[in-house]
Amino acid sequence: MSAYVKPLPSPSSYSFPFWEGCKRHELLIQHCKNCGANIFYPKLYCSICLSPNMEWIRVSGRGRIYTFTIVYGYAPTAFTQDIPYVISVVKLDEGVQLMSNIVECEPSQLRCDMRVEVVFDDVTPEITLPRFRPIKNH
Amino acid sequence: MSSFKGKVAIIGIGEVPTGKFPERPCLQNGIEAARMAILDAGINKDEIDVVMPTGVFSDGVLNVQLVAGKMVEELGLQRKAKANLQVFSGGSSSSTMLMTACSLVAGGHARMVLCVQCDKVGTIPTQQMIDMFTFSGDPEWEDPYGFFAVANGGLVATRYMHETRTTAEQLASVVVSMRKWAALNPNAMLRRELTIDEILASKMIATPLTTKEANVFADGGAAFIVANAAIAMQVCRTPVYPLGFGSRVTHYSLSQCTNLLDLGYAESGKEAFEMAGINATDVDIVEFYDAYPVYPLLSLEGLGFCKKGEAGAFVQAGNTWPGGELPMTTNGGMLGQGHTAAGGGIAILVEAVRQLMGKAGERQVKGARIAVETSHGGTFMDSHVCVLGTVLP
Repeated sequence: MSAYVKPLPSPSSYSFPFWEGCKRHELLIQHCKNCGANIFYPKLYCSICLSPNMEWIRVSGRGRIYTFTIVYGYAPTAFTQDIPYVISVVKLDEGVQLMSNIVECEPSQLRCDMRVEVVFDDVTPEITLPRFRPIKNH
Repeated sequence: MSSFKGKVAIIGIGEVPTGKFPERPCLQNGIEAARMAILDAGINKDEIDVVMPTGVFSDGVLNVQLVAGKMVEELGLQRKAKANLQVFSGGSSSSTMLMTACSLVAGGHARMVLCVQCDKVGTIPTQQMIDMFTFSGDPEWEDPYGFFAVANGGLVATRYMHETRTTAEQLASVVVSMRKWAALNPNAMLRRELTIDEILASKMIATPLTTKEANVFADGGAAFIVANAAIAMQVCRTPVYPLGFGSRVTHYSLSQCTNLLDLGYAESGKEAFEMAGINATDVDIVEFYDAYPVYPLLSLEGLGFCKKGEAGAFVQAGNTWPGGELPMTTNGGMLGQGHTAAGGGIAILVEAVRQLMGKAGERQVKGARIAVETSHGGTFMDSHVCVLGTVLP
Protein backbone atom coordinates (compact mmCIF):
# COMPACT_ATOMS: atom_id res chain seq x y z
CA MET A 1 0.00 0.00 0.00
CA SER A 2 1.46 3.32 -1.10
CA ALA A 3 1.79 6.13 1.43
CA TYR A 4 -0.78 8.92 1.46
CA VAL A 5 1.03 11.98 0.05
CA LYS A 6 -1.67 14.65 0.07
CA PRO A 7 -1.80 17.40 2.71
CA LEU A 8 -3.19 16.16 6.02
CA PRO A 9 -4.70 18.26 8.78
CA SER A 10 -2.64 18.68 11.95
CA PRO A 11 -5.31 18.66 14.68
CA SER A 12 -4.83 21.42 17.25
CA SER A 13 -5.40 21.36 21.00
CA TYR A 14 -8.99 22.44 20.42
CA SER A 15 -9.82 20.84 17.05
CA PHE A 16 -8.79 17.25 17.87
CA PRO A 17 -12.28 16.21 19.08
CA PHE A 18 -13.56 16.93 15.56
CA TRP A 19 -10.93 14.66 14.02
CA GLU A 20 -11.48 11.99 16.70
CA GLY A 21 -15.18 12.12 15.77
CA CYS A 22 -14.37 11.65 12.09
CA LYS A 23 -12.32 8.57 13.00
CA ARG A 24 -15.48 7.14 14.64
CA HIS A 25 -17.43 8.26 11.52
CA GLU A 26 -19.32 10.89 13.47
CA LEU A 27 -19.50 14.52 12.29
CA LEU A 28 -19.14 16.91 15.24
CA ILE A 29 -19.43 20.67 15.50
CA GLN A 30 -19.19 23.00 18.47
CA HIS A 31 -22.25 24.45 20.18
CA CYS A 32 -21.96 27.44 22.49
CA LYS A 33 -23.84 26.90 25.73
CA ASN A 34 -23.67 30.62 26.45
CA CYS A 35 -25.13 32.15 23.26
CA GLY A 36 -26.51 29.08 21.49
CA ALA A 37 -24.47 29.46 18.30
CA ASN A 38 -23.32 26.48 16.24
CA ILE A 39 -19.64 26.93 15.39
CA PHE A 40 -17.46 25.46 12.63
CA TYR A 41 -14.54 25.25 12.06
CA PRO A 42 -13.52 24.58 15.69
CA LYS A 43 -12.56 27.64 17.74
CA LEU A 44 -10.78 28.02 21.07
CA TYR A 45 -13.57 30.33 22.25
CA CYS A 46 -17.02 30.88 20.79
CA SER A 47 -16.43 33.23 17.85
CA ILE A 48 -19.81 34.90 18.42
CA CYS A 49 -19.54 35.71 22.14
CA LEU A 50 -15.99 34.60 23.12
CA SER A 51 -17.35 32.26 25.80
CA PRO A 52 -15.23 29.22 26.71
CA ASN A 53 -18.45 27.35 27.51
CA MET A 54 -18.72 25.21 24.40
CA GLU A 55 -19.74 21.60 23.86
CA TRP A 56 -19.37 19.19 20.97
CA ILE A 57 -22.58 18.04 19.31
CA ARG A 58 -23.06 15.34 16.70
CA VAL A 59 -24.80 16.64 13.58
CA SER A 60 -26.85 14.94 10.87
CA GLY A 61 -24.12 15.13 8.25
CA ARG A 62 -26.72 16.34 5.77
CA GLY A 63 -26.78 19.61 3.94
CA ARG A 64 -26.65 21.17 0.51
CA ILE A 65 -24.00 22.20 -1.96
CA TYR A 66 -23.58 25.97 -1.60
CA THR A 67 -21.08 26.05 -4.46
CA PHE A 68 -18.58 23.79 -6.22
CA THR A 69 -15.86 23.66 -8.85
CA ILE A 70 -14.73 20.69 -10.91
CA VAL A 71 -10.95 20.71 -11.16
CA TYR A 72 -9.39 19.76 -14.53
CA GLY A 73 -5.99 21.46 -14.32
CA TYR A 74 -3.47 23.57 -12.38
CA ALA A 75 -4.14 21.46 -9.27
CA PRO A 76 -1.60 21.22 -6.43
CA THR A 77 0.99 18.51 -7.18
CA ALA A 78 -0.44 15.96 -4.76
CA PHE A 79 -3.87 16.16 -6.42
CA THR A 80 -2.94 16.03 -10.11
CA GLN A 81 -3.61 12.27 -10.25
CA ASP A 82 -7.18 12.82 -8.96
CA ILE A 83 -8.23 15.11 -11.82
CA PRO A 84 -11.10 15.61 -12.33
CA TYR A 85 -12.12 16.11 -8.70
CA VAL A 86 -14.74 18.30 -7.09
CA ILE A 87 -14.14 20.96 -4.44
CA SER A 88 -17.28 22.20 -2.74
CA VAL A 89 -18.51 24.47 0.02
CA VAL A 90 -21.24 22.52 1.81
CA LYS A 91 -23.80 24.17 4.07
CA LEU A 92 -24.95 21.74 6.75
CA ASP A 93 -28.58 21.68 7.91
CA GLU A 94 -27.28 22.94 11.27
CA GLY A 95 -26.23 26.20 9.58
CA VAL A 96 -22.44 25.94 9.42
CA GLN A 97 -20.37 25.73 6.24
CA LEU A 98 -17.31 23.66 5.42
CA MET A 99 -15.06 22.97 2.48
CA SER A 100 -14.90 19.37 1.28
CA ASN A 101 -15.08 17.18 -1.81
CA ILE A 102 -18.16 15.78 -3.54
CA VAL A 103 -17.72 12.09 -4.35
CA GLU A 104 -19.81 9.27 -5.82
CA CYS A 105 -21.31 11.62 -8.38
CA GLU A 106 -20.86 12.20 -12.09
CA PRO A 107 -19.48 15.78 -12.21
CA SER A 108 -21.96 16.79 -14.92
CA GLN A 109 -24.82 16.00 -12.50
CA LEU A 110 -23.67 18.52 -9.90
CA ARG A 111 -25.85 21.53 -9.13
CA CYS A 112 -25.80 24.26 -6.51
CA ASP A 113 -28.26 23.55 -3.68
CA MET A 114 -28.18 19.77 -4.37
CA ARG A 115 -28.78 17.75 -1.17
CA VAL A 116 -25.72 15.86 0.08
CA GLU A 117 -24.69 13.67 3.02
CA VAL A 118 -21.36 13.01 4.69
CA VAL A 119 -19.27 9.97 3.83
CA PHE A 120 -16.12 9.25 5.78
CA ASP A 121 -12.82 8.48 4.07
CA ASP A 122 -10.19 6.81 6.30
CA VAL A 123 -7.18 8.17 4.42
CA THR A 124 -4.59 7.15 7.06
CA PRO A 125 -4.83 5.26 10.37
CA GLU A 126 -4.82 8.65 12.15
CA ILE A 127 -6.91 10.83 9.84
CA THR A 128 -10.39 10.41 8.42
CA LEU A 129 -11.64 13.13 6.06
CA PRO A 130 -15.34 13.96 5.79
CA ARG A 131 -16.48 14.12 2.17
CA PHE A 132 -20.00 14.40 0.76
CA ARG A 133 -22.16 12.53 -1.77
CA PRO A 134 -25.57 13.29 -3.22
CA ILE A 135 -28.49 11.89 -1.17
CA LYS A 136 -30.16 9.23 -3.28
CA ASN A 137 -33.92 9.23 -3.97
CA HIS A 138 -34.24 12.92 -3.25
CA MET B 1 -15.51 58.67 10.37
CA SER B 2 -12.99 61.47 10.03
CA SER B 3 -11.96 62.15 6.46
CA PHE B 4 -8.52 62.86 5.06
CA LYS B 5 -10.20 64.43 2.07
CA GLY B 6 -8.29 67.58 1.20
CA LYS B 7 -5.33 66.80 3.42
CA VAL B 8 -3.46 64.28 1.24
CA ALA B 9 -2.58 63.66 -2.41
CA ILE B 10 -0.74 61.14 -4.56
CA ILE B 11 1.99 63.04 -6.35
CA GLY B 12 4.01 60.43 -8.24
CA ILE B 13 3.80 56.91 -9.65
CA GLY B 14 6.28 54.39 -11.01
CA GLU B 15 5.99 50.97 -12.59
CA VAL B 16 8.33 48.58 -14.40
CA PRO B 17 7.01 46.39 -17.24
CA THR B 18 5.14 43.30 -16.03
CA GLY B 19 6.24 39.96 -17.44
CA LYS B 20 8.75 37.14 -17.17
CA PHE B 21 12.23 38.61 -16.69
CA PRO B 22 14.52 35.89 -15.29
CA GLU B 23 17.58 38.17 -15.53
CA ARG B 24 16.01 41.09 -13.64
CA PRO B 25 16.57 40.72 -9.88
CA CYS B 26 13.46 41.06 -7.73
CA LEU B 27 14.77 44.02 -5.73
CA GLN B 28 15.65 45.85 -8.95
CA ASN B 29 11.92 45.95 -9.80
CA GLY B 30 11.30 47.84 -6.57
CA ILE B 31 14.24 50.24 -6.83
CA GLU B 32 13.39 51.11 -10.45
CA ALA B 33 9.72 51.69 -9.59
CA ALA B 34 10.61 53.85 -6.56
CA ARG B 35 13.03 55.95 -8.61
CA MET B 36 10.43 56.41 -11.35
CA ALA B 37 7.87 57.57 -8.78
CA ILE B 38 10.37 60.07 -7.32
CA LEU B 39 11.18 61.42 -10.79
CA ASP B 40 7.50 61.50 -11.72
CA ALA B 41 6.72 63.56 -8.61
CA GLY B 42 9.64 65.86 -9.35
CA ILE B 43 10.67 65.93 -5.70
CA ASN B 44 14.00 65.85 -3.92
CA LYS B 45 14.08 62.24 -2.72
CA ASP B 46 15.39 63.35 0.68
CA GLU B 47 11.94 64.81 1.39
CA ILE B 48 10.55 61.27 1.76
CA ASP B 49 10.18 60.67 5.49
CA VAL B 50 8.41 57.30 5.55
CA VAL B 51 9.31 54.27 3.41
CA MET B 52 6.58 51.64 3.16
CA PRO B 53 7.53 48.43 1.34
CA THR B 54 4.82 45.79 1.05
CA GLY B 55 5.34 42.02 1.25
CA VAL B 56 7.29 39.92 -1.24
CA PHE B 57 5.86 36.43 -1.93
CA SER B 58 8.64 34.92 -4.02
CA ASP B 59 11.65 35.67 -1.80
CA GLY B 60 11.40 35.38 1.98
CA VAL B 61 14.94 36.64 2.53
CA LEU B 62 14.33 39.78 0.47
CA ASN B 63 11.06 40.28 2.33
CA VAL B 64 12.94 40.38 5.64
CA GLN B 65 15.57 42.71 4.14
CA LEU B 66 12.83 45.14 3.11
CA VAL B 67 11.24 44.90 6.55
CA ALA B 68 14.65 45.72 7.98
CA GLY B 69 15.21 48.86 5.89
CA LYS B 70 16.95 47.72 2.70
CA MET B 71 14.98 50.16 0.52
CA VAL B 72 15.98 53.06 2.79
CA GLU B 73 19.66 52.36 2.08
CA GLU B 74 19.10 51.69 -1.64
CA LEU B 75 17.54 55.16 -1.95
CA GLY B 76 19.97 56.86 0.42
CA LEU B 77 17.31 57.92 2.88
CA GLN B 78 19.26 57.15 6.06
CA ARG B 79 18.55 59.75 8.73
CA LYS B 80 15.88 61.28 6.46
CA ALA B 81 13.30 58.52 6.89
CA LYS B 82 11.51 58.54 10.25
CA ALA B 83 10.12 55.06 9.73
CA ASN B 84 10.44 52.03 7.48
CA LEU B 85 7.37 49.88 7.90
CA GLN B 86 5.81 47.03 5.99
CA VAL B 87 2.09 47.20 5.29
CA PHE B 88 0.89 43.96 3.75
CA SER B 89 -2.51 42.41 3.18
CA GLY B 90 -1.87 40.36 0.03
CA GLY B 91 -3.83 41.62 -2.97
CA SER B 92 -5.37 44.51 -1.04
CA SER B 93 -1.98 45.90 0.01
CA SER B 94 -2.56 48.74 -2.47
CA SER B 95 -5.47 49.94 -0.34
CA THR B 96 -4.04 49.20 3.10
CA MET B 97 -0.80 50.98 2.14
CA LEU B 98 -2.71 53.97 0.79
CA MET B 99 -4.99 54.02 3.84
CA THR B 100 -2.00 53.87 6.22
CA ALA B 101 0.02 56.44 4.27
CA CYS B 102 -2.93 58.86 4.14
CA SER B 103 -3.48 58.43 7.90
CA LEU B 104 0.19 59.15 8.65
CA VAL B 105 0.18 62.25 6.44
CA ALA B 106 -3.21 63.58 7.56
CA GLY B 107 -2.22 63.00 11.18
CA GLY B 108 0.93 65.04 10.74
CA HIS B 109 3.27 62.11 11.34
CA ALA B 110 4.69 62.17 7.80
CA ARG B 111 5.08 64.63 4.95
CA MET B 112 5.82 62.21 2.13
CA VAL B 113 5.36 58.45 2.16
CA LEU B 114 6.93 56.20 -0.48
CA CYS B 115 4.84 53.03 -1.00
CA VAL B 116 6.76 50.42 -2.99
CA GLN B 117 6.30 46.84 -4.15
CA CYS B 118 8.32 44.26 -6.07
CA ASP B 119 7.96 40.57 -6.75
CA LYS B 120 9.15 37.86 -9.09
CA VAL B 121 6.38 35.27 -9.17
CA GLY B 122 6.50 35.00 -12.97
CA THR B 123 9.79 33.17 -13.30
CA ILE B 124 9.09 30.42 -10.78
CA PRO B 125 8.20 27.13 -12.57
CA THR B 126 4.40 26.90 -12.97
CA GLN B 127 3.82 23.86 -10.76
CA GLN B 128 5.97 25.30 -7.95
CA MET B 129 3.97 28.51 -8.19
CA ILE B 130 0.66 26.65 -7.95
CA ASP B 131 1.91 24.80 -4.88
CA MET B 132 3.19 28.05 -3.34
CA PHE B 133 -0.15 29.76 -3.72
CA THR B 134 -1.98 26.75 -2.31
CA PHE B 135 -1.28 28.29 1.07
CA SER B 136 -4.07 30.74 0.41
CA GLY B 137 -6.28 27.92 1.62
CA ASP B 138 -6.34 26.89 5.27
CA PRO B 139 -3.97 23.96 5.96
CA GLU B 140 -6.39 22.21 8.32
CA TRP B 141 -9.81 22.94 6.77
CA GLU B 142 -9.22 23.50 3.04
CA ASP B 143 -5.91 22.19 1.71
CA PRO B 144 -6.67 18.49 2.47
CA TYR B 145 -9.47 18.74 -0.13
CA GLY B 146 -7.21 20.01 -2.92
CA PHE B 147 -8.08 23.71 -2.68
CA PHE B 148 -5.89 26.14 -4.64
CA ALA B 149 -6.01 29.68 -5.99
CA VAL B 150 -7.98 29.18 -9.21
CA ALA B 151 -10.56 27.07 -7.33
CA ASN B 152 -11.40 30.25 -5.44
CA GLY B 153 -12.41 32.01 -8.66
CA GLY B 154 -14.30 28.89 -9.78
CA LEU B 155 -16.28 28.45 -6.55
CA VAL B 156 -17.44 32.07 -6.54
CA ALA B 157 -18.27 32.08 -10.26
CA THR B 158 -20.34 28.87 -9.97
CA ARG B 159 -22.57 30.37 -7.28
CA TYR B 160 -22.77 33.73 -9.07
CA MET B 161 -23.85 32.10 -12.34
CA HIS B 162 -26.35 29.90 -10.47
CA GLU B 163 -28.05 32.87 -8.81
CA THR B 164 -27.91 35.36 -11.69
CA ARG B 165 -28.12 33.09 -14.78
CA THR B 166 -25.04 34.84 -16.12
CA THR B 167 -23.71 32.89 -19.11
CA ALA B 168 -20.25 31.50 -19.82
CA GLU B 169 -20.03 33.94 -22.76
CA GLN B 170 -20.77 36.89 -20.48
CA LEU B 171 -18.15 35.73 -17.97
CA ALA B 172 -15.59 35.35 -20.77
CA SER B 173 -16.39 38.86 -22.02
CA VAL B 174 -14.65 40.24 -18.90
CA VAL B 175 -11.43 38.74 -20.26
CA VAL B 176 -12.17 40.23 -23.69
CA SER B 177 -12.43 43.65 -22.02
CA MET B 178 -9.21 43.17 -20.02
CA ARG B 179 -7.25 42.05 -23.08
CA LYS B 180 -8.47 45.00 -25.14
CA TRP B 181 -7.03 47.36 -22.53
CA ALA B 182 -3.84 45.30 -22.13
CA ALA B 183 -3.28 45.57 -25.88
CA LEU B 184 -2.90 49.34 -25.37
CA ASN B 185 -0.62 49.01 -22.31
CA PRO B 186 3.14 48.76 -22.98
CA ASN B 187 3.68 47.47 -19.41
CA ALA B 188 1.26 44.56 -19.88
CA MET B 189 2.36 40.96 -20.39
CA LEU B 190 -0.69 39.57 -22.26
CA ARG B 191 -1.22 42.06 -25.08
CA ARG B 192 -3.01 39.86 -27.61
CA GLU B 193 -6.74 40.45 -27.86
CA LEU B 194 -8.94 37.39 -27.41
CA THR B 195 -12.42 36.48 -28.64
CA ILE B 196 -15.08 34.85 -26.48
CA ASP B 197 -14.74 31.69 -28.60
CA GLU B 198 -10.98 31.53 -28.03
CA ILE B 199 -11.43 31.98 -24.29
CA LEU B 200 -14.11 29.29 -23.99
CA ALA B 201 -12.12 26.90 -26.21
CA SER B 202 -9.02 27.08 -24.01
CA LYS B 203 -8.38 24.27 -21.52
CA MET B 204 -10.79 24.02 -18.59
CA ILE B 205 -9.05 24.46 -15.21
CA ALA B 206 -11.67 24.74 -12.49
CA THR B 207 -15.26 25.05 -13.71
CA PRO B 208 -16.42 27.42 -15.02
CA LEU B 209 -12.94 28.91 -15.53
CA THR B 210 -10.71 28.14 -18.49
CA THR B 211 -6.98 28.87 -18.77
CA LYS B 212 -7.68 32.27 -20.31
CA GLU B 213 -9.98 33.15 -17.40
CA ALA B 214 -7.24 32.68 -14.82
CA ASN B 215 -4.66 35.37 -14.14
CA VAL B 216 -1.04 34.70 -15.05
CA PHE B 217 1.73 35.28 -12.51
CA ALA B 218 4.42 37.76 -13.48
CA ASP B 219 7.45 39.70 -12.29
CA GLY B 220 6.99 43.37 -11.64
CA GLY B 221 7.22 46.35 -9.37
CA ALA B 222 5.26 49.52 -8.72
CA ALA B 223 5.41 52.54 -6.42
CA PHE B 224 3.46 55.63 -5.48
CA ILE B 225 4.14 58.64 -3.28
CA VAL B 226 1.58 60.10 -0.89
CA ALA B 227 2.14 63.64 0.36
CA ASN B 228 0.57 66.38 2.41
CA ALA B 229 -1.89 68.22 0.10
CA ALA B 230 -0.29 71.63 0.68
CA ILE B 231 3.10 70.26 -0.41
CA ALA B 232 1.46 68.43 -3.29
CA MET B 233 0.04 71.62 -4.74
CA GLN B 234 3.51 73.19 -4.71
CA VAL B 235 5.45 70.32 -6.28
CA CYS B 236 2.95 68.55 -8.52
CA ARG B 237 1.00 69.84 -11.52
CA THR B 238 -1.48 66.96 -11.42
CA PRO B 239 -1.98 65.78 -7.83
CA VAL B 240 -4.59 63.05 -7.37
CA TYR B 241 -6.69 63.23 -4.23
CA PRO B 242 -8.04 60.23 -2.34
CA LEU B 243 -11.57 61.48 -1.68
CA GLY B 244 -13.19 58.53 0.04
CA PHE B 245 -12.39 55.15 1.52
CA GLY B 246 -14.53 52.23 2.61
CA SER B 247 -13.59 48.67 3.48
CA ARG B 248 -14.76 45.47 5.14
CA VAL B 249 -13.14 42.14 5.97
CA THR B 250 -15.76 39.47 5.23
CA HIS B 251 -13.90 36.20 5.93
CA TYR B 252 -10.60 34.38 6.16
CA SER B 253 -11.52 30.97 4.71
CA LEU B 254 -13.54 31.18 1.53
CA SER B 255 -15.66 28.33 2.93
CA GLN B 256 -16.80 30.59 5.79
CA CYS B 257 -18.20 33.33 3.54
CA THR B 258 -21.97 33.01 3.87
CA ASN B 259 -22.80 35.15 0.84
CA LEU B 260 -20.29 34.85 -1.97
CA LEU B 261 -22.17 37.43 -4.03
CA ASP B 262 -21.66 40.10 -1.36
CA LEU B 263 -18.01 41.03 -0.93
CA GLY B 264 -18.88 43.69 1.63
CA TYR B 265 -19.57 46.40 -0.94
CA ALA B 266 -22.88 47.37 0.65
CA GLU B 267 -20.85 48.82 3.52
CA SER B 268 -17.51 49.67 1.91
CA GLY B 269 -19.03 51.25 -1.20
CA LYS B 270 -21.48 53.32 0.82
CA GLU B 271 -18.72 54.58 3.12
CA ALA B 272 -16.38 55.47 0.26
CA PHE B 273 -19.03 57.21 -1.84
CA GLU B 274 -20.42 59.13 1.13
CA MET B 275 -16.99 60.31 2.25
CA ALA B 276 -16.26 61.46 -1.32
CA GLY B 277 -19.71 63.01 -1.69
CA ILE B 278 -20.38 61.26 -4.99
CA ASN B 279 -22.63 58.60 -6.45
CA ALA B 280 -22.07 56.05 -9.22
CA THR B 281 -23.21 58.43 -11.98
CA ASP B 282 -20.38 60.85 -11.13
CA VAL B 283 -17.70 58.25 -11.88
CA ASP B 284 -15.66 58.51 -15.10
CA ILE B 285 -13.60 55.30 -14.81
CA VAL B 286 -13.55 52.21 -12.60
CA GLU B 287 -10.30 50.44 -11.81
CA PHE B 288 -11.60 47.15 -10.42
CA TYR B 289 -9.45 44.37 -8.97
CA ASP B 290 -9.92 41.26 -11.07
CA ALA B 291 -7.71 38.16 -10.76
CA TYR B 292 -10.76 36.15 -11.99
CA PRO B 293 -13.56 37.40 -14.24
CA VAL B 294 -16.38 37.04 -11.71
CA TYR B 295 -14.96 39.72 -9.42
CA PRO B 296 -15.32 42.76 -11.70
CA LEU B 297 -18.93 41.65 -12.30
CA LEU B 298 -19.56 41.52 -8.54
CA SER B 299 -17.93 44.97 -8.25
CA LEU B 300 -20.08 46.51 -11.01
CA GLU B 301 -23.19 45.23 -9.22
CA GLY B 302 -22.09 45.73 -5.63
CA LEU B 303 -21.13 49.36 -6.20
CA GLY B 304 -24.31 50.25 -8.05
CA PHE B 305 -23.08 50.50 -11.63
CA CYS B 306 -25.31 47.60 -12.70
CA LYS B 307 -28.32 45.82 -11.21
CA LYS B 308 -27.77 42.33 -9.79
CA GLY B 309 -27.28 39.84 -12.60
CA GLU B 310 -26.90 42.48 -15.32
CA ALA B 311 -23.14 43.11 -15.21
CA GLY B 312 -22.30 40.26 -17.61
CA ALA B 313 -24.54 41.66 -20.34
CA PHE B 314 -23.16 45.17 -19.62
CA VAL B 315 -19.58 44.00 -20.20
CA GLN B 316 -20.46 41.84 -23.21
CA ALA B 317 -22.08 44.87 -24.86
CA GLY B 318 -18.72 46.66 -24.79
CA ASN B 319 -19.48 49.27 -22.14
CA THR B 320 -16.21 48.66 -20.28
CA TRP B 321 -13.93 48.48 -23.32
CA PRO B 322 -11.79 51.27 -24.77
CA GLY B 323 -14.29 53.85 -26.01
CA GLY B 324 -17.06 52.41 -23.81
CA GLU B 325 -19.36 54.27 -21.48
CA LEU B 326 -17.59 53.07 -18.31
CA PRO B 327 -13.91 52.23 -18.93
CA MET B 328 -12.96 49.44 -16.52
CA THR B 329 -9.53 48.29 -15.29
CA THR B 330 -7.73 50.17 -18.01
CA ASN B 331 -4.31 48.57 -17.47
CA GLY B 332 -5.82 45.20 -18.38
CA GLY B 333 -5.83 43.95 -14.79
CA MET B 334 -4.26 40.70 -13.73
CA LEU B 335 -6.03 38.98 -16.63
CA GLY B 336 -4.16 41.24 -19.07
CA GLN B 337 -1.22 43.02 -17.46
CA GLY B 338 -0.30 40.01 -15.29
CA HIS B 339 -0.47 39.18 -11.58
CA THR B 340 2.58 40.30 -9.61
CA ALA B 341 1.31 39.02 -6.22
CA ALA B 342 0.65 42.03 -3.94
CA GLY B 343 1.51 44.14 -6.99
CA GLY B 344 -1.58 43.13 -8.97
CA GLY B 345 -3.67 45.50 -6.90
CA ILE B 346 -0.96 48.16 -6.75
CA ALA B 347 -0.74 48.20 -10.56
CA ILE B 348 -4.49 48.89 -10.63
CA LEU B 349 -4.19 51.74 -8.11
CA VAL B 350 -1.22 53.18 -10.03
CA GLU B 351 -3.30 52.99 -13.23
CA ALA B 352 -6.16 54.90 -11.60
CA VAL B 353 -3.72 57.66 -10.65
CA ARG B 354 -2.07 57.54 -14.10
CA GLN B 355 -5.43 58.04 -15.82
CA LEU B 356 -6.39 60.93 -13.52
CA MET B 357 -2.97 62.54 -14.08
CA GLY B 358 -3.55 62.26 -17.83
CA LYS B 359 -0.45 60.12 -18.34
CA ALA B 360 -2.02 56.93 -19.74
CA GLY B 361 -0.83 57.40 -23.33
CA GLU B 362 -2.72 55.49 -25.99
CA ARG B 363 -5.34 54.27 -23.52
CA GLN B 364 -5.94 57.64 -21.84
CA VAL B 365 -9.63 58.14 -21.06
CA LYS B 366 -10.23 61.78 -22.04
CA GLY B 367 -11.49 63.98 -19.25
CA ALA B 368 -11.23 61.34 -16.52
CA ARG B 369 -11.70 63.25 -13.26
CA ILE B 370 -13.18 60.73 -10.83
CA ALA B 371 -12.09 57.09 -10.53
CA VAL B 372 -13.26 54.28 -8.27
CA GLU B 373 -10.59 51.73 -7.42
CA THR B 374 -11.00 48.42 -5.56
CA SER B 375 -8.81 45.70 -4.12
CA HIS B 376 -9.11 42.35 -2.37
CA GLY B 377 -6.60 40.26 -0.42
CA GLY B 378 -6.35 36.61 0.58
CA THR B 379 -9.23 34.55 -0.75
CA PHE B 380 -11.13 37.81 -1.28
CA MET B 381 -11.18 38.21 2.49
CA ASP B 382 -11.80 41.94 2.23
CA SER B 383 -13.17 44.59 -0.07
CA HIS B 384 -11.58 48.01 -0.28
CA VAL B 385 -13.14 50.85 -2.24
CA CYS B 386 -11.33 54.11 -2.90
CA VAL B 387 -12.64 57.16 -4.72
CA LEU B 388 -9.89 59.26 -6.31
CA GLY B 389 -10.27 62.63 -8.00
CA THR B 390 -8.34 65.40 -9.71
CA VAL B 391 -9.98 68.20 -7.79
CA LEU B 392 -11.13 68.74 -4.24
CA PRO B 393 -14.91 69.09 -4.22
